[in-house]
Amino acid sequence: MSLKPRRVDFESVWERLLETIKGVITCGQVARSTWNDRFSDVYKLCTALPEPLGDRLYLETKAFLELHVKSTHFKIMENEQDLLAAYHRHWEEYCRGAGYLNQLYGYLNTTFIKKLKFTDADLNYGGFAVEMTDHMLEIGELALDIWRKHMIEPLRHNLMTLLLHEIAGDRTGQSVNQAVVHGVINSLVDVENYKKKMAMQLYEEMFETPFLKETGDFYRSEASRLKSDCTCSEYMEKVIQRLDMENLRSCKFLHPSSYDKVMQECQQRMVADHLQFLHGECHEMVQQEKRKDLTHMYQLLKPIQGGLGVLIQDIEEHIKHTGLEAVRSLKTDSVPANFVESVLEVHSHFSDLIQKVFGNDQQFVGALDKACAAVINYKLNPKLPCKSPELLAKYCDILLKKSSKGISESEMDDRLTRCITVFKYLDDKDIFQRFYSRMLAKRLIYAQSASMDAEEAMINRLKQACGYEFTNKLHRMFTDMSVSNDHNTSFQNYLQSKRVDLGITFSILVLQAGAWPIGGTTVPSFSLPQELEHTVRTFDGFYGDKFSGRKLTWMHSFCYGELKFNHLKKPYFVTMSSYHMAILLAFNQSEILTVQDMVTATGMPEKELVKQVQALSETKIIMPEEGEVTPDTKVSLNMSYSNKRTKFKISVAMPTRDTPQEVESTHAAVDEDRKMFLQAAIVRIMKARKVLKHNLLIQEVITQSMSRFHPSVSMIKKCIETLIDKQYLERTANSPDEYSYIA
Amino acid sequence: MADEMDVDRDGDKETTSKPEKMFTLKKWNLVAMWSWDVECDTCAICRVQVMDACLRCQSENKQDDCVVVWGDCNHSFHNCCMSLWVKQNNRCPLCQQEWVVQRIGK
Repeated sequence: MSLKPRRVDFESVWERLLETIKGVITCGQVARSTWNDRFSDVYKLCTALPEPLGDRLYLETKAFLELHVKSTHFKIMENEQDLLAAYHRHWEEYCRGAGYLNQLYGYLNTTFIKKLKFTDADLNYGGFAVEMTDHMLEIGELALDIWRKHMIEPLRHNLMTLLLHEIAGDRTGQSVNQAVVHGVINSLVDVENYKKKMAMQLYEEMFETPFLKETGDFYRSEASRLKSDCTCSEYMEKVIQRLDMENLRSCKFLHPSSYDKVMQECQQRMVADHLQFLHGECHEMVQQEKRKDLTHMYQLLKPIQGGLGVLIQDIEEHIKHTGLEAVRSLKTDSVPANFVESVLEVHSHFSDLIQKVFGNDQQFVGALDKACAAVINYKLNPKLPCKSPELLAKYCDILLKKSSKGISESEMDDRLTRCITVFKYLDDKDIFQRFYSRMLAKRLIYAQSASMDAEEAMINRLKQACGYEFTNKLHRMFTDMSVSNDHNTSFQNYLQSKRVDLGITFSILVLQAGAWPIGGTTVPSFSLPQELEHTVRTFDGFYGDKFSGRKLTWMHSFCYGELKFNHLKKPYFVTMSSYHMAILLAFNQSEILTVQDMVTATGMPEKELVKQVQALSETKIIMPEEGEVTPDTKVSLNMSYSNKRTKFKISVAMPTRDTPQEVESTHAAVDEDRKMFLQAAIVRIMKARKVLKHNLLIQEVITQSMSRFHPSVSMIKKCIETLIDKQYLERTANSPDEYSYIA
Repeated sequence: MADEMDVDRDGDKETTSKPEKMFTLKKWNLVAMWSWDVECDTCAICRVQVMDACLRCQSENKQDDCVVVWGDCNHSFHNCCMSLWVKQNNRCPLCQQEWVVQRIGK
């Protein structure tokens, strides 16, 4: 066969072609050779001389298809009792046939029609009317378009009513021919699928919109029916069931683009429309922690815009309430352990709830955090600073001290980790740090730590939670301990090499000034007992050899030693502070001393000495004369003193733990620190911004200090005043609430 | 108050029969605080206390190496602050005498 264009008689070729087309469109038998011949017939017509006959072919084909579809329409209408099935059958056939036909007209499609088609750009930006009625379509598309015009349009109403009827039947449990319904619905999509724009328009207008309305109506009445005969928890259960079923139904019948819309419609009718009713029930469910109901409630409310708010708030309130109840029920100055453990219990109870019921939804975790922070930072007395940082620090102290026997290392580890949970909620982390470092200092100096590893692990945890700067000093304290250990060893070696015998067991801690929370307070003057002077001088020499430029200050209030009592029936070994040692050693000169004598011997101020004498006399080791202690009061040794134990300690004069003054001074020191911190922050900010409004400055300072403490606005204002006085800042001339930085 | 303390070692080494004093010292735990032996607590160059590391060392995490230096004029600064200073001006920033290192702390 030649491809050369030639003269063609249209009528005869079309007759041949028409025969085959009829077979193709009804999916009848068409022999391969016939197919090939017809394919070239199309070619011949399109390339015919003198005039190509493509246009005519197109029009004739169109006329044929219209006729065919119209007659099919009649056939379908005859099948009135089973219109859907008939439609479906014919559609399937026609759709396939149209596909083949499109291939048969391949040449026409590519040469004739493409030229007339718009490009995508034309469609999108060209500003043409989208569907130009007369424009030529590919044959396959033409076939679909004809089906739409001459089949779907006339049947439109019938089809829609029948489809909705079928689906309604499915809802009430009647059996439905799924393939047919699904096929018919999808024919609405497929018939317009070739369009570049608004391909879903027919489906949406003809079926989806009425379907959604119908669905909405159905579930509206369903919801009010359920609501009237069920309790809320039954209602939720039923609704979830209905939603699941409807979702399944969508998958069975509808086009995927509708799934979400159907869900939304159902949720709107059954959940969102009854939001008030559901919200009203939240409170009680939360109060009674009905986990199953809450799970359902969460599931239902989650997809609704603004649906969860009330539930979240109820949860937060409930946690806060439970927590405060727990905290308030403790005695005012309660045992730290009770406080920490009851807070933790509340926390873990509700984290579990939030994990299991709300799948750790961030909004609920946030509510838990907010509630816990409110509980932990709750002030029993609004005028006093919050006790929680102190209690938490004490709890850590109890855990880390040797006395907490009976708990395994792993349990201790566990508990300390949980302390961090509480710690993270503290507003006043700096207060905690003060207390913690004080207690750490005492544990280290008096060698009371249960385990150095645990101590270090705890410091590292704090570092992780709050950063390097926060634990810097704690780390330095820790380093001092190991450095001092080395000092002791090398000092012993030094003594041996010099053949010096101190006559006592001696150990020393050399601490770095500034790193330890001690020493700031003025130490009462004190002269060492002669027995010790030699030791101190030897060590001083040793230390001076080893380092240069350093001076040592003796922290007598933290020193302690052991004395052997020889004056009683049996020897006693007693551990006591340096002050007590000095007082007792003075009795080596005489069994009776006046207070004045002791002042001379110890070099202590009288007031301080009297305090120590009173403390000692409480142990009955010495006996002052009756009456008020004055410089002339005579003090004698109790020669008939006895104690069940031969080894004991007098710890009265050791700084007792956390006297009210200490607590107060801690708070005062924290206040000082805060002022410095705030001033530094203000200067940093102003240096960067040069000029800033008052409110913005306050805002930024608060943001910067949040991780350590929550500053009050009045404190920030005071700091700004101070800085203006110090001429770091000035008020700008033109605006009353603006500051500028003075370089 | 029965705080536990380290009392495990028995100090009973004295076996001599010399007339005993009423109280003899067995054991002593001394606590001392060390600080640089300086006249002024603050380094005049970086305005940080000499007991703390200078800002440069703090940010580079070299606190342990940040020592103090004394000049012949007896003024003291962080050693690292001063070594930067003398590159520009070999005089003590406080008294303008020529800077001669007297000693370096360690």
